[in-house]
Amino acid sequence: MSSSPLRCAVVGAGRMGMVHGHLLQVHPDTEIVGFVDRDASLGPHLASQGLKAPLYPSLAALSEKAAADAVFVCTPTHTHLPVVREALGCRAHLFVEKPVATSRDDAEAILRLANEARVVHAVGYVYAHLPIVGEAQRILASGAIGEVLRFKAHAYVSEVFSEKKGWFFQKELSGGGVVANMSSHLLFIVGWLLGPIRRVVAHTRSHASTVDDSAQALLTFASGVTGILDTSWSTPGTQMLDYGLTVDGRKGTLVLARERILLHLLEAGGGFEQGWNEIHASDLPSDTAYDVSPHIGGEAFYRQLDTFVRACRAGTQPFCSLAEGVNTQRMIDAIYASAAAGGTPVDVA
Amino acid sequence: MNLVLELRPPESRLYGSWEERLAAVSRFSRPDEVHAVCEKAHALGARAVLAVLDDSIREALVAYQRWRDMALWAVVPNMFAFIRDLTDLGMVGAARARFTRLGPGAMMKIGLGAVTQVPAVLKKDFATGALLVMDMELAALRGLRVSRLFLHPQLTEIGLAGGVRQMFTAVADRAARAGIEAGLVTNNPLRAAEVLGPDLKRFAVVVAPANPKGWKMFPDRTSCERLYRADPARWAAAEITAGGTVPPRAALEHVESLGLGTAVLDARAVDAAFRAAAA
Repeated sequence: MSSSPLRCAVVGAGRMGMVHGHLLQVHPDTEIVGFVDRDASLGPHLASQGLKAPLYPSLAALSEKAAADAVFVCTPTHTHLPVVREALGCRAHLFVEKPVATSRDDAEAILRLANEARVVHAVGYVYAHLPIVGEAQRILASGAIGEVLRFKAHAYVSEVFSEKKGWFFQKELSGGGVVANMSSHLLFIVGWLLGPIRRVVAHTRSHASTVDDSAQALLTFASGVTGILDTSWSTPGTQMLDYGLTVDGRKGTLVLARERILLHLLEAGGGFEQGWNEIHASDLPSDTAYDVSPHIGGEAFYRQLDTFVRACRAGTQPFCSLAEGVNTQRMIDAIYASAAAGGTPVDVA
Repeated sequence: MNLVLELRPPESRLYGSWEERLAAVSRFSRPDEVHAVCEKAHALGARAVLAVLDDSIREALVAYQRWRDMALWAVVPNMFAFIRDLTDLGMVGAARARFTRLGPGAMMKIGLGAVTQVPAVLKKDFATGALLVMDMELAALRGLRVSRLFLHPQLTEIGLAGGVRQMFTAVADRAARAGIEAGLVTNNPLRAAEVLGPDLKRFAVVVAPANPKGWKMFPDRTSCERLYRADPARWAAAEITAGGTVPPRAALEHVESLGLGTAVLDARAVDAAFRAAAA
């Protein structure tokens, strides 16, 4: 373990780049050596937020002035592959904002390049870092509900009720709509909990914007677990992502919500009683030094960074590695492929 | 102990389930329901409302303040609404939407002030932009008796992370010019104390989480409580029921044990406390 801070560069000085920049400044084990963005006018904006690191027009320009141990890729999704290629030329560890890429092929290429470079890598599905989600994973892994049989999931947010502008709403730039950019958070969690995806049947619909605004998917995992996802970003009532996941097993049921788990067990196990158990997020340690966004993400942003920093120090891949992100990307691609084929089942090799 | 009711758009809260969300959002989209919660809180002893305002909350508070002595601690801007407008309308459109809500006098005042800030606005200066939006939303609160002014926590936490001290002192200056007090809402009280230093005393009250489970008390409960005990009159306890897992009475006893003079209750805690008091 080194005691010197992890020197990080942030490529892309948009909203997510700034959030990561702030966290890198407040985390005791990190140092931000620079931002990279082609928009030079962002320099004063960054400085006005207290983000003091210099802004460079390219990663090459940054590398001439400073060495980065890790690179945070926060550019629009369609640029991730070339940015990753450049970052790996610096032999830097990689943090890639979600989704990994606009296609499965690009995502797999990114993973392959990162593995070949033998760097630590992570993807930014931030909600997986909430303590309550980690607890759900721990409970399922403990076998408390027995063999998992099926699940039901939803992810809703009130965001898109009319056509919108910007790269986020152009499929070729962002990878898609609600599935790729919003419910992928939940797909990541489901994949983390249940394993590799095998088959997908899906329908998507664009009823507000030019990308998918809602989707329903039947997902089958390699383990044989099946389940359904219903998602929309055109649902009134929730200004932040509202998701829920119910997992049924042979010995019980786990219901995951934003701040609590309801756990019903047919027999005591895993430290829980027979019958209903409730675990609230306030019962779990948060290990968080700073809450950068109290209403959206909360302590998860800090924990995400902390997980990555620890992994870089240890030289081991974190649970949120690009490999897990590629599993999510396979789900995203298969949902779109199935929907494009009128709901035909798509096998994921 | 001083009790304060916390109100914000119900869509911006977390709930135990989708069904619970829909029930709460539906309920609190009605000004009469907001009004009823205010009255319950008043009956419990609350004499101030800490509020992020939407149309329903605003309408309810305008009516409520006509017949009850309930101060408004205004949290501005409504960042969720502002972010929505940013993506729908762009920066100029979001600003225009707020500007056109103002009365002629406020338009003149804000407009003249903005002229001197054009270079900073063009440079996308964070504090200038945040304060301009804050000014417009504050000016739009005509008809309401505002006694304290708070910057929205989404801006506060970013400003504290970056150590943008001048943004906070500018808020205090604005409040003083308006003849009201400035306050602060944060989940990062230690960082607030570090960044603001002696200027923290310019904020009459700092609302931060305080509960027996350490819920949302960053970086940890011990250091937060040490900070609170050093100046207990300044700190107001928020998140006192730790997401509804601590009964209101026990939560309030805990706040008292810390020596804090003010506790903030959300609508769920008010409902629970009111039921308990009525039983």
